[in-house]
Amino acid sequence: MTGYEVPRKFPTTVVGSYPKLEPAKIALKRLRKGEASEEELRPFFEQAIRIAVEDQVKAGVDIISDGEQTREDMVVFFAERVEGYMPGEWVKIFDNVYFRKPIIYSQVKWVRPLTVEDWKTATRFSMGRPVKGILTGPYTMIEWSFDLHYRDRYEAIIALAKEIRKEIEALVNAGAKYIQVDEPALSTRPWREEAEIAGEALKILFKGIEAKKIVHICFGRVEEILPYILDYPVDQFDLEFKNSDFRLLPYLKEYGYDKELGYGVIDVHTTQIETVEEILESIDRLMKLDILPPEKVYIDPDCGLKRLPRDIALAKLKNMVEAAKIARERW
Amino acid sequence: MKVWGMVLGGYPRGRLARYSLRDRERGTIRSSQFSVEMLKTHAEVIGVQKAAGLPVVVDGMIGWHDIFRPFIRNWRNVSVDGLLRYFDNNFFYRIPVFTGEPDIIEPVWPGRVAEFSLLADPARLKIVLPGPVTMALMSKNKAGLSTEELAERIAYLLRREVELTLEYNVYVQIDEPILSMRNAEEHWAGLAVELANNIISGVEDRSIIAVYFDFPSKKILETLLGVRAKYVSLDIVDSPRRAEENALPLDDHVPVVGVVDGRRIHEDRISDTILSIIKKLSGSGDEIVLTTTTWMDLIPFRYALKKTNILGRMVDFIAERLGGEAVKLWR
Repeated sequence: MTGYEVPRKFPTTVVGSYPKLEPAKIALKRLRKGEASEEELRPFFEQAIRIAVEDQVKAGVDIISDGEQTREDMVVFFAERVEGYMPGEWVKIFDNVYFRKPIIYSQVKWVRPLTVEDWKTATRFSMGRPVKGILTGPYTMIEWSFDLHYRDRYEAIIALAKEIRKEIEALVNAGAKYIQVDEPALSTRPWREEAEIAGEALKILFKGIEAKKIVHICFGRVEEILPYILDYPVDQFDLEFKNSDFRLLPYLKEYGYDKELGYGVIDVHTTQIETVEEILESIDRLMKLDILPPEKVYIDPDCGLKRLPRDIALAKLKNMVEAAKIARERW
Repeated sequence: MKVWGMVLGGYPRGRLARYSLRDRERGTIRSSQFSVEMLKTHAEVIGVQKAAGLPVVVDGMIGWHDIFRPFIRNWRNVSVDGLLRYFDNNFFYRIPVFTGEPDIIEPVWPGRVAEFSLLADPARLKIVLPGPVTMALMSKNKAGLSTEELAERIAYLLRREVELTLEYNVYVQIDEPILSMRNAEEHWAGLAVELANNIISGVEDRSIIAVYFDFPSKKILETLLGVRAKYVSLDIVDSPRRAEENALPLDDHVPVVGVVDGRRIHEDRISDTILSIIKKLSGSGDEIVLTTTTWMDLIPFRYALKKTNILGRMVDFIAERLGGEAVKLWR
């Protein structure tokens, strides 16, 4: 791996998913139909990861991802590979789009690395750029599954946290320097008791882990849960701002936020491409509040880019990188 | 004590409906064929409710992408924007954007009621309307109106839906889930009550106001009791502890109690806690209606059918436990 120097100020990154590329679409379809095994389809997935990585590199993103090309969905992917889960049936996410909401039917158990091969593949094509290891957190996994076994959310979340911890260890052993745990469900119940459950789980996940520890939360009432999560054992919160019109900003100031911040400046729910000036304005908006130095601000999209067309996603990333470059001069 | 049951709201889509909707989006199905395919699912869900002995049924709202969409599509000066999470679900609705005072191009319910009343007979059909306060607060308001004015205008249009279905003697349900939020403000509840009273004028004895996803605060509930709807529907399973703390006798209203979990797939059971909440809500009343905690559109289709059947059995069970009489369609 060649040494890539991540900029000191306003490094750019992604939250994780990239639009599904054709080889991955074909492979996932064949996998679902049982026409071929994961091993047989691996070349397709590797090709998709390669393209996703090349796009991010082309855009100039500093800390990249594998584009989550092998993941049918952020929950289903893990559920299908952790013992104790069984496949679910189709449940609506929006419009006429569905996911196969998985079912926990017995004790959950990690049996083999789940994401390490994808991380290694991405790293091979990343031109030295660091690749995030990205996992769906236990809180979200349980919230977005049907639980027929534990029937007690706390018990289920803690049990799963202990198993996901093994995946984090596997990623770190493979060389991952950035570990991101996605907990979008946390913003949906912004209450102290919920934050405490998720916090317990994060302690299990991250205790003694030697990597940059990130938790991603998005699309909900994050401002309400913020005071209860600030002492989470993480280095960085990666949060959505753009879609909610930066509603969260004054609360960061109010609560004396001082961790690193993954600052979402790209709306992933619209195909409208943010201009460089618009993104710069977003960065200025944060910096003028004098909450964090630029060294603690990571510029990224609100969330994964999977719902966008590839050309739009790429254009958004390019503008984001361009804006970050200018911001580095400015701040 | 009379005990009867009705499903709260929409059903999920089975394979047939999903594929028909997909084909319509692709333009590969004729309009007449699409209507036939969708009718099959509507007939199935109506049939299942009747088989469960429910005297009031919903048509399932199978084609609705979310509770707001059919109204948005049929109204002037409102369109849809990006996606936003719908309460604490892994489900996203499209944000209505009001750009002027909305007006009806075509009402949503009269055609449906004409179509489905015969199928429902001898059960009575229920129409479900988005609560004007929930809708106004969950929209982007670029109409130059205050939130209150927008909600009032929405209520005016919803009133038209009621007027145009009067001849069918339908039940009318107004959904105000936003009042279950822990940060819900009392004046929202006051406005919801005032507007609901306008919408249901003349049909109070077959009207329901529904609050779900959580149990409302005591103050919100007290305010809610100002509604002239005969029925007040509350979700007591999502957070039984909160329901236990905040429940109070519903005075002159008949409680519609969400006891069958509409968002999870396990077999429902009635605990002593749930039973005591039901008793508390009913006070000295002589009628109780059982329902699903929420719409069932976020669980797989076959589970929704199963839950309908459970609801029917629950009516018998609770009637027996309360020493009352189960009122079933076929008895």
